[in-house]
Amino acid sequence: MKSTAQNQTYTRPMAFRIPIKGQQQLASNWLLFLGLILSIYMLTLQPVMAHGEKNLEPYVRMRTIQWYDVQWSKQKFNVNDEVTVTGKFHVAEDWPISVPKPDAAFLNISTPGPVLIRTERYLNGKPYMNSVALQPGGDYDFKVVLKGRLPGHYHIHPFFNLRDAGQVMGPGAWLDIAGNEADFTNNVQTINGEMVNMETYGLGNGIFWHSFWALLGTAWLLWWVRRPLFIARYRMLQAGLENELVTPLDRNIGKAILIGVPVLVFAFYTMTVNKYPKAIPLQASLDQILPLSAQVNAGVVDVETLRAEYRIPERAMKLSLKIKNGSDKPIQIGEFATGSVRFLNKAVPVPEQSNTESVVAPEGLSLDNPAPIQPGEQRTVSMTASDALWESERLDGLINDADSRIGGLVFFFDPEGERYVSSITAAVIPKFN
Amino acid sequence: MSANLSTRTFRPYTGEKARIARAYDYLVLVLALFLFIGSFHLHFALTVGDWDFWVDWKDRQWWPAVTPLIGITFPAAVQAVLWTNFRLPLGATLCVACLSIGTWIARIFAYHLWNYFPINMVLPSTMLPSALVLDVVLMLSNSLTVTAIFGGSAFALLFYPSNWPIFGMFHVPVEAGNSQLTVADMFGFQYIRTGMPEYLRIIERGTLRTYGQVAAPLSAFFSALLCTLMYTLWWHIGKWFATTRYLKRI
Repeated sequence: MKSTAQNQTYTRPMAFRIPIKGQQQLASNWLLFLGLILSIYMLTLQPVMAHGEKNLEPYVRMRTIQWYDVQWSKQKFNVNDEVTVTGKFHVAEDWPISVPKPDAAFLNISTPGPVLIRTERYLNGKPYMNSVALQPGGDYDFKVVLKGRLPGHYHIHPFFNLRDAGQVMGPGAWLDIAGNEADFTNNVQTINGEMVNMETYGLGNGIFWHSFWALLGTAWLLWWVRRPLFIARYRMLQAGLENELVTPLDRNIGKAILIGVPVLVFAFYTMTVNKYPKAIPLQASLDQILPLSAQVNAGVVDVETLRAEYRIPERAMKLSLKIKNGSDKPIQIGEFATGSVRFLNKAVPVPEQSNTESVVAPEGLSLDNPAPIQPGEQRTVSMTASDALWESERLDGLINDADSRIGGLVFFFDPEGERYVSSITAAVIPKFN
Repeated sequence: MSANLSTRTFRPYTGEKARIARAYDYLVLVLALFLFIGSFHLHFALTVGDWDFWVDWKDRQWWPAVTPLIGITFPAAVQAVLWTNFRLPLGATLCVACLSIGTWIARIFAYHLWNYFPINMVLPSTMLPSALVLDVVLMLSNSLTVTAIFGGSAFALLFYPSNWPIFGMFHVPVEAGNSQLTVADMFGFQYIRTGMPEYLRIIERGTLRTYGQVAAPLSAFFSALLCTLMYTLWWHIGKWFATTRYLKRI
């Protein structure tokens, strides 16, 4: 006999009931709403164009690899054509304490996959293939030769992978590769003199061996799967019929596999060893290339940074610099570059970097005393680099960094266009009003 | 079910019962196929990772040590289930075949068609010979201990020689940039990997090469030792995860 409580049926009050028709209406409204959201989302989709240029903390971008004079040989070319990117960089003396020293660094190219291949790479005129150790305070020039592989419109940067630090991007450029993907060729000559096509080398051989073993593996699986499997075998096993589950024929085939497979493996291995007797291990050395003679801080113009203030409302970095002109000509500050952003003094003609997308503030640099610094003169100059780029390039995050020191390159020019470059560094004091 | 079965009273399923049991076989097989393609491939990609992805990571020390060690995990667990409950000696081959399917799908669609790498640069390794031997050692020995020691060791020792026919030709030397490289190294240099600088390669590091300059066999034996332990561990994980409690009413 059921209890009274069990006999009672709970009835939801009318106020909380939604009629079937109303439920359908509600569901269709929700679907309409979700469809609308999805449509808006789809309509506003845009291709991603970034490579993490602003990803690293400002102090890493400013005080590790300081790029300048980056140029591309051309920006429109065909599949199989070569394009060269050249440039220079200074490895900051004031290397951040939290970033491991550049004992292993890799000059790379940011691409959306291998749409280009890298055929040659030089550091200070020396070809090199692996990673390299850089010296803080050192000056280097580089050249990377690339070859068009896949047609398209690509935004490409040279950049450095720094071990345990990240990617420090150099100035980028848009490259247009025309032509037909199928025309791409990439042949490499081995030491034996054999010419190999890198696009297909070893592919057929690899597919053959995978297929060979897959055939044997499939045969083994089918040998068992053709019989009743789980429930039937479980019942037999529980009934003590284990010997019927693995027959003598199964055992004989197993013995054949146990002997045959290792014999085949070592036979094929020996054949391959004999076919490629000069095979060598993968190469994993670290290249050692000495810096150039000093290009930055070359001893002609000495700069000491006395103070650096970042004025947040004005988005301006004000630097107090004690400058001594050791050259025999008057010099002027034409540019301040930091974190791949260039602040130019409009009063001084600065050579263009024609085809790189340097992030430039063309009138971003001003001086309290614009008069040229005479030969032998020592002067304290207040230099202000101001532009919204501090914010849009996310360099103003420096004031929130654990290591809020700035680093950058100051470019001086004499009347004949001779250039002197100094690396500066200082702790940054924020000014909030 | 099991308590009531005996050799004397056992009657095999016939008619509709047999058909349903067979349909159940196929259902489980299809599900297992997708399960192992997904899970073993994911497990393998997250652990062996670059050593299996790239031709210029397949060295003499780490690749033959790490790959079998991780590769024996799922086979051991699945063998524990299939052998203990069904006397099916195909767990290792099934897992490795599923891994191969998943790997080839990823290499073609993700690496080649999506990211433009030539497939020969991302050829996967094979463990099918090792898996076949592991399965038959279990079948013939019917022993966890014997399979762990001899099957696990064979699984590791066969790995390098069974892959050399695929990858040996990528170790032919090339002169480039005033240095000697392998063809495999040239792939790494030429085909740009933005997020994979050369120094990230964990290759040819360690002291195994110092024993008579024969790194690969030493690495394989080192892996063999670890595989015996890894096999046992994952066998018990497989047993722990698997249960037949829901079959009691059949």
